[in-house]
Amino acid sequence: MSLWVDKYRPRELSKLDFHKEQAENLRNLCKQSDFPHLMFYGPSGAGKKTRIMCLLREMYGSGVERLRSETMTFTTPSNRKVEVMTVSSNYHLEVNPSDAGMYDRTVVIDLIKQVAQTHQIEISGQREFKVIVISEGDELTKDAQHALRRTMEKYVATCRIIISVNSTSRIIPAIRSRCLGIRVAAPNETEIVSILQNTCKREGLALPVELAKRLVDKSERNLRRALLMLEAAKVAKAPFTANQEIPDLDWQVFLRETASQIISEQTPVKLEKIRERLYELLIQGVPPNLIFRGLVEQLVSNCDMSIKAKTLEFATEYEHRMQSGAKHIFHLEAFVAQFMNIYKKFLSELVMTDDF
Amino acid sequence: MDQYPDENEEFELQYQDELELLEDLPDEFNAYDGPSTSKQAAAKQKENRAPPPALKDISRLGNSTLCSPQLSQITFGSSQLIGEDEGDGTSTGGLVNRRLFGTPKGPPVGRGCSTPFQRMPAIAELENTQLTSRGFGLEKENPAANQLQEVGLKNVNKRRLERDLFGDIDDLFHESYEDPMVKKARTEEQRDHEAINRILELRRKMRESSKTLRKDDVSRLKALHDFKMRNLSYEIPNWPFLAIQRSDLERIYVRFHSEEYEQRQLELISARGEVAGSLLGEAKVKIWQEAGEIVLSRAAAAEDPDVTLVNSNSNSEIGRLWVDKYKPRKYIDLLSDEMTNRSLLYWLKMWDKVVFGKAFHSKREQEAVTGEGGTAGGAGNQLNSFNKRTGKFESNGGWRQRKSRQALNTNVDALGRPMQKVALLCGPPGLGKTTLAHTIARHAGYNVREINASDDRSPEAFKLALENGTQMSSVLNEDKRPNCIVLDEIDGAPRQSIDYLVKFISDAVYSKVKAKGAKAEHNVLKRPIICICNDVYDPALRPLRQVAFVVSFPPIDAARLAERLVKIAYKEQLKTDFGSLIALAEKSGNDVRSCISSMQFFNAQKHSLTLQDVLNNNLGQKDRHQGLFAVWDAIFRIQRPRKTLQTDANKVDEPAQVTMTNTSVTTRVRNVLEVVHSSGDFERLTQGVYENYLQQKMPDPNFTGVCEALKWFCFTDSLQHQISRQQNYSVYPYLQYGFVVWHLLFATLAWPKIAFPTRGFEFQQKSTNQRNIFQAICKGVTTSALGVGQGRTLLLDTVPLLKRILSPQLRSVAVQLLSPKEQQDLRHTIEVMVDLGLTFVQVKSQEGHYVFQTEPDLDALSAFPGYTGLSLPYFSRQLIAREVDLERIRRAAPKGGAPSAAAAKTKPSGAAAQLPNHLQILKPKPISVSNMHSAPKQQLTKDFFGRITHKTTATNSAEESKTDAIVKSPIWYRYKEGFNNAVRKDVHIHELL
Repeated sequence: MSLWVDKYRPRELSKLDFHKEQAENLRNLCKQSDFPHLMFYGPSGAGKKTRIMCLLREMYGSGVERLRSETMTFTTPSNRKVEVMTVSSNYHLEVNPSDAGMYDRTVVIDLIKQVAQTHQIEISGQREFKVIVISEGDELTKDAQHALRRTMEKYVATCRIIISVNSTSRIIPAIRSRCLGIRVAAPNETEIVSILQNTCKREGLALPVELAKRLVDKSERNLRRALLMLEAAKVAKAPFTANQEIPDLDWQVFLRETASQIISEQTPVKLEKIRERLYELLIQGVPPNLIFRGLVEQLVSNCDMSIKAKTLEFATEYEHRMQSGAKHIFHLEAFVAQFMNIYKKFLSELVMTDDF
Repeated sequence: MDQYPDENEEFELQYQDELELLEDLPDEFNAYDGPSTSKQAAAKQKENRAPPPALKDISRLGNSTLCSPQLSQITFGSSQLIGEDEGDGTSTGGLVNRRLFGTPKGPPVGRGCSTPFQRMPAIAELENTQLTSRGFGLEKENPAANQLQEVGLKNVNKRRLERDLFGDIDDLFHESYEDPMVKKARTEEQRDHEAINRILELRRKMRESSKTLRKDDVSRLKALHDFKMRNLSYEIPNWPFLAIQRSDLERIYVRFHSEEYEQRQLELISARGEVAGSLLGEAKVKIWQEAGEIVLSRAAAAEDPDVTLVNSNSNSEIGRLWVDKYKPRKYIDLLSDEMTNRSLLYWLKMWDKVVFGKAFHSKREQEAVTGEGGTAGGAGNQLNSFNKRTGKFESNGGWRQRKSRQALNTNVDALGRPMQKVALLCGPPGLGKTTLAHTIARHAGYNVREINASDDRSPEAFKLALENGTQMSSVLNEDKRPNCIVLDEIDGAPRQSIDYLVKFISDAVYSKVKAKGAKAEHNVLKRPIICICNDVYDPALRPLRQVAFVVSFPPIDAARLAERLVKIAYKEQLKTDFGSLIALAEKSGNDVRSCISSMQFFNAQKHSLTLQDVLNNNLGQKDRHQGLFAVWDAIFRIQRPRKTLQTDANKVDEPAQVTMTNTSVTTRVRNVLEVVHSSGDFERLTQGVYENYLQQKMPDPNFTGVCEALKWFCFTDSLQHQISRQQNYSVYPYLQYGFVVWHLLFATLAWPKIAFPTRGFEFQQKSTNQRNIFQAICKGVTTSALGVGQGRTLLLDTVPLLKRILSPQLRSVAVQLLSPKEQQDLRHTIEVMVDLGLTFVQVKSQEGHYVFQTEPDLDALSAFPGYTGLSLPYFSRQLIAREVDLERIRRAAPKGGAPSAAAAKTKPSGAAAQLPNHLQILKPKPISVSNMHSAPKQQLTKDFFGRITHKTTATNSAEESKTDAIVKSPIWYRYKEGFNNAVRKDVHIHELL
């Protein structure tokens, strides 16, 4: 509980800092007897998980905060052992099936169905059902999602499922229709600023508003990131100043540098160096679509208006194509080469028009 | 491999006795007890050959009336033999020498001699007396014959020439007894004439006495004599002739006849003989037939090994495949690499001790025994050795030491078997692996038992075959040689069978070690096993590969193969030239079988094989597996115009057009498709192209080509994903077209630099590594730190910032001396680390010094080159590591009533809590009230040296001064703790007061 992210995380619905109306609705939902399956969706760092935990606490009391984590082992049909981490209390079970990769279906079938089938032992509890929290639900494969839909219907008497996703677009409609969707939007700037300042106050620090605003910018309204950045900044320099340096995410910096290198030189040799950098990013586990996004953002912001549209067009084309492949490096490099191509053409045209 | 041709010869010398074995091979077919030394073999040879001369003798005597038109040749043969006889004293030595210098052994004068027995004189010499006595003995009742015999004996004993004469007679056993005439014709010396005259006279008498002489016999003899005179001459004649020199340096010219003529003459004579009837009637016919059979069999035996390329004139061989016809029959005919052959033969010979019960002596060992000193290498554990030719090979002794055999373990086990019980021959098809195995096994005196893919190789059948082959020998067959199992095409055998084979080999070893008794003998493998495979890296062969003596077959040299092809072409009268045969060899990838088959095909079609035919035809071109580099080379390189179909078709006078056609897009596309298709491993090929295409020279200023190429990479990737995910192989054929595009975009005429693609593999390795570290971190996160997120969020958002958070600035001083702010930072860091399950561990870095590393290795995660990770100095890490450990212990301890207790105090207080319990049992109930108060008092006595304890003692004592109940209490007890009295001190309350 020592990271500020954990330390100052609200534990009750009433104490949530933003989307208070929604919190009120959730509390009302708990009071009613028919509690539906829920799907929390919203960007990362918007407080979905916090909200879910608050909701659970509202339902079951402080007992849900007595957590224990376990590692469960499953055997897939192809006799592979898959390990999945679960965090559970007496009332709920939190699992991230995408840890199992392509074997998440096994997890859904074995674990979730099994838990859903069993009745709550403690009858005296407020609720006759328990809750399964599935985090990163949009990473579930289609198979796993299909395995889930029947479970959700059949064992509704003993269990509710709360899915936390970033985007509903990757959830099959069958599941979407079974859940009550709750959108958790990212907090706006003022909300974040106030949260940051509150945090600093509790830590006995003074946070200049300018710094807070810069933190918001830097963190892209990701509250978790903002808090972590704040804490990192504090470690770097204890009494905050307004124009203090804010630590950056290494991979973002790396990506930015890569983009600027693409702009600077368009040769096969450079392309090969870019490839190395892309490989490096992939090795470090940066997902290719994030790389794509980072590159495009940087390239578009640095290039001329006339080729922006083209760049975006190609980016969409290559990213879409990437989804149908397995070797992301090909597609990334193809996009880079394509950009180099149009950029070079643009430059040469520029030179020609200048001459005239 | 043979870099030292001289050494080859030396080796040949070294192995002279082996080579003699080669010579003796045909005889060994009859020999029961396997390989023998040359002397033995020679003796055997004599034994074997003893009966036929006797028969011949008889027939000769019986058919004295028959005369042969081939007398001329006979005489020639005899004189030649004389020469040879006198030329080299020992025929064996001569033979060996001939072998050494590579002249194929055969009748030195080609077809002039119709009886191909070169060794006859020697044998005749040895057998002479026996022969004559035996042969003549049959006719003892005939006095004339006796006399004749006497004369013969006299002649034999008298002079060498006469002996030669008889040798001659031996040689011509099936013809007739006209040799004296020959003698007469040849020699001028009077004594000989006299002797011959006497013989003739005696013979006439004999015939008269037997009364079967026909009237015209004399005239016939006369005619024959004339005939002979027509065919022999001392001057240079005007008919076709062959000049030969007689032992007395006289030149004789022998007439050449065409074979047809000879045949005709022979038939004429034999017909006449039949009409005439014979001296012995039916018996004679029988003997004649027998003799004929013997001649035939001996002709086959003698001619086969010497002339590898069997005479193709005989009608029975027309339908045969040339591949079979020209199969190597003997060790030295083998085309494969000499070193390979030898090492395999060496290995096989190492079995001799077990199989044949006689030790195999390596040359090295011989040397060691003969006391050359210093050369007694690894082979010194063989027991005995004979040094029959000690002095002979001293000069070439050092050979083996310099060039050791590749993988052959020359040591033998306790039973005298080689350490590697199985030989594994591997190489591409058509190099002659099977042939080698068979030839060598036969050569070493084994009976080959082949189990190949056409046989049932289920584990049971395999087991049966193995056991039968190794532990039994055939009873019915008179061929008593031991078995040698050849497991052909073993890479196709089921894995269980191979596992069984491995067990079979090693099991024998076990049982031997376990029980040395009689039962142990039961299972011991005592026969060599040769396995043959194409792909030695077949997964099923892995266990076998480890125990086997692996002989990999290098490709045959194209020139050497072409040489052999020339020979065959010559034999088959196929018109061709060396160049086209080399082209054929190269085209087929030096596949012997395919080359010979192609030649036969051409032969069947027409009567010449030209370069054009070779290049023009698809014959002999097999689906060869090309190396990856060859394929990449073909992709990145425009093939220079070669001698291809067009080149020859268009003739030399239009070279420009030829070049055009060759580098046209169509040709290139076809070529690339062909090459890529032959390789097949598209994924790896793609990766190779991907990692190399940017290095190629490309005239591509606008990146259009690169974009195009990358589009195809993307397409290929999509296809491959489709195939692997959905098993949708219907799109597979499209994969190869990417290579065509890449070829057209990037291929140049220059030699491309191609590196093996490693990046993809490295990428996978590193990714896996990173993933593992990340998983370890995920597992370590405790439930109190769930705010760091899960999965990707944790990796992308938390980890990079966490590195900063965990890098407080601490001075390198003791914990107590840190400023409050530093203390706070440290505290914070430690708590975060414990929450996340991180710690620092000391590891030895690659440079050799010790560093503290995060465990799990947070530093390695999202570490980009050129970016600082955790910026903690060594000291801070050490400090934090210690504190983290303490904090862990603290958290692991049961949470008591005082969670805010100082770190140093936690443990002692836990111990203190235990103590009252222990004492409570001893205490009487009423005092339990005071006992509660006594607990802190005990604590104080115990913490004698602690700084804080003094303070508490003071406060406690102050407290106690107030509480009279304790002071007044009648019960006192002493507290004793620890292992040593040294730190114990009794403190009385009044002392403290």
